Amino acid sequence: MSTWRQFFTYNKYTQIAARAVRQSLKENERLAAEKRGSTVLRYQHWEGGKGGEQVNK
Amino acid sequence: MSALRLISSVARRRVPPSLTLGRRGYAEATDKINLSLVLPHQVRNLHSTDVVQVNLAAATGDMGILANHVPSIEPLRPGLVEVIESAGSSKKWFVSGGFATVHPNNKLTVNAIEAAPLEDFSPEAVRTNLQEAHRVLSGNGSEEDKAEARIEADVYEALQHALGTK
Repeated sequence: MSTWRQFFTYNKYTQIAARAVRQSLKENERLAAEKRGSTVLRYQHWEGGKGGEQVNK
Repeated sequence: MSALRLISSVARRRVPPSLTLGRRGYAEATDKINLSLVLPHQVRNLHSTDVVQVNLAAATGDMGILANHVPSIEPLRPGLVEVIESAGSSKKWFVSGGFATVHPNNKLTVNAIEAAPLEDFSPEAVRTNLQEAHRVLSGNGSEEDKAEARIEADVYEALQHALGTK
């Protein structure tokens, strides 16, 4: 069961499982859910007290 | 006869008084545990509701959480979370995995990324997705693609099992 450990972090694993759940919803629920799936991580690099650009992943 | 009485009174006295304080008991039938089902987007979940029992699909096996459960942290498999609010009425949710944390003050928090009531799932979509995942598994993609398909196949199989037992 834990064969994915050699490829993925736990983060990636839960995102894959969540994506699978989203794709199994009924039609109208799925459309709303797909929007949630587009952003997994949002980060911004700070240097010298100034923030860089916010990046969506 | 008097010897028996002496032994029994000695035995009674030997119980240290500290043992009676804070003794964990078993849950009564009417005790409730406070459940919060928390998702990142938090559109629709249970927040701080008192329920009688919660059945979880933990990674180590299925378990049922009653009131006054010992504090524990359990990783969850993609599977059913059944919430029994009072004798007779239960609601079933399918969660994509995550963690269930029982806190010392009789609170249970279930963290997951995606969860939905069983009624919101479409069996045809699950069947199609499962076939797709099996196709990738038996194809000749990379090991990483196959691992990904394996994860998805586990989720779909758990979903089918959950929908079948609705």
